[in-house]
Amino acid sequence: MTSVNREKHVKWVLMAPTLLILIGTTLYPFIYSFITSFRFWKLTRSPVPGKFIGFDNYIRAFGDAGFWNSVWVTVVFTVISVVLSMVIGLAIALILERATKLNTFMKSLLIFPFAMAPALKGYSWRFMLNPDYGIIDAAIDAVFPFMADVVWLGEPYWAVFWLAMTEIWGWAPYIALVFIGALGALPRETLNAAKVDGASTFQVFWYITLPQLKPIIIMVGLLKTIFSVKMFDQVVTLTGGGPGRATETLNYYVYNQGFKFYDMGYASALAYLLVTTMFVFAFLYVRFLMKGEQA
Amino acid sequence: MTYTRDEKFWTGVRWLGFGATFLFMVFPIFWMVITAFKVARDAYSTKIIFTPTLHNFVSIFQDPYNFGPLLLNSIVVSICTVAVAIPAATCAGYAFSRYQFKTKNALMVAVLSSQFVPPVVVVLPFFTLFRTLHLLDTRLALVILNLSFVLPFAVWMIKGFVDALPADIESAAVVDGCNRFQVLRHITLPLIMPGVVTSAVFGFIQSWNEFLFALILTNRKAVTLTVGLMGLHTDKGILWEHMAAAGMLIMVPIFVLSFTIREYFIEGLTMGAVK
Repeated sequence: MTSVNREKHVKWVLMAPTLLILIGTTLYPFIYSFITSFRFWKLTRSPVPGKFIGFDNYIRAFGDAGFWNSVWVTVVFTVISVVLSMVIGLAIALILERATKLNTFMKSLLIFPFAMAPALKGYSWRFMLNPDYGIIDAAIDAVFPFMADVVWLGEPYWAVFWLAMTEIWGWAPYIALVFIGALGALPRETLNAAKVDGASTFQVFWYITLPQLKPIIIMVGLLKTIFSVKMFDQVVTLTGGGPGRATETLNYYVYNQGFKFYDMGYASALAYLLVTTMFVFAFLYVRFLMKGEQA
Repeated sequence: MTYTRDEKFWTGVRWLGFGATFLFMVFPIFWMVITAFKVARDAYSTKIIFTPTLHNFVSIFQDPYNFGPLLLNSIVVSICTVAVAIPAATCAGYAFSRYQFKTKNALMVAVLSSQFVPPVVVVLPFFTLFRTLHLLDTRLALVILNLSFVLPFAVWMIKGFVDALPADIESAAVVDGCNRFQVLRHITLPLIMPGVVTSAVFGFIQSWNEFLFALILTNRKAVTLTVGLMGLHTDKGILWEHMAAAGMLIMVPIFVLSFTIREYFIEGLTMGAVK
């Protein structure tokens, strides 16, 4: 064997462990779920998959009010959490943009909300929102006395909002860190020129900084969307899907079908509808990343 | 230099924003920390002045909560996941960075996309498979599934760090007759060590915070800390002072770890996309 030939095989040897693990942990379940989505399979009746029933599981989803509810909840939650975490993240970035000592200290604090376990975030906010002894509830009641009677996690729309809030609390600081990095890399000349020409601070931001940040905004927005669509942990720990079904996200609904009702066939079909949605955003995100890769 | 009214206004806004950000970011953590030191009676109030106690930290390790084994499970699962993922990812990340070949882009996209497969899709088939193999409620089951998201992430991160290293550094060693494995082991690896360590810390944090897989696959023996929190939701309601103490048990190690890698934090998380 020549050395050129050996060199050709080296890369495959290097990649083999990763590729084998991923085939086992991702590709296998990915295909298996797809096949299961066309079968009748209730674990309560049989430990092995039942017969193929064509598109019945998918057709069932389209007539299932619980499914449509979870789609709606997921859409509302995703829009609120993506928009607010981007806006707040950008605002924090602009506040901390200059590299002073105080800002550097603050930047290292920003890591913490992001690194906190999402399940724990849910409980922590649930505690603070409690109508009897919650500190956030008390603070809001003090400022807006007319809201004293609101039970935050007992009202459908507020529950979705606070669910989004737990997510924003973790993601806005991370997004801020990304934006601070991006702001630092922007060319200074145009900014200074605009200031010399008498542009106001707001004009400089709106007409010069913001357009230059567009690629980063798109990338972070897509990434955040992908993570929001598969929201699960805080649904369990903050609201348990309630009140009623007001905070049942699609991922939580799939979980209930699969692991409360043990309907593997139906859960797989629902999961695949989730996959389809995720892959639209993932496709855009990957294309965006790869474009940057070649440039 | 004199400040214009516009500049004065925005400086004021900036300070206000700074205060608001600080409050928004730090307060929920602060509140959990002080609650962990309160006796039950004080925890169910908005008191800030109280007599601190360490009782909650002792109590969560005793019957009926027994967080000791849960802590051990979290540690073992996270370390094992990282121990498998990082060596594999280092090799793959190196190969993706240094070699050009036809299927490279397709493979890289496949690795990246595998991260976006929703965990619930992964867990559905594995639940039935592990049931058949009697692997439900084992740490091994969690390690296997945690690899599904820790590994692809680590590959991309490490690839980014190898990309940033000029290839010339390696060519001298190749001329001297080293093979690729020797180059990777003795030349590249020491130079990308910060990147490898950062990826390892990230992998650890991701495994440590994982909730969905542990919720579905464990019920007694292999329960991890995040799922263990649900054990404090009792018939008598949620025991908040215990919850806060257990929360600190989850949070503090992660804060220490993420603080040590804060310099690489952004770079790592965006997988090198933001340069």
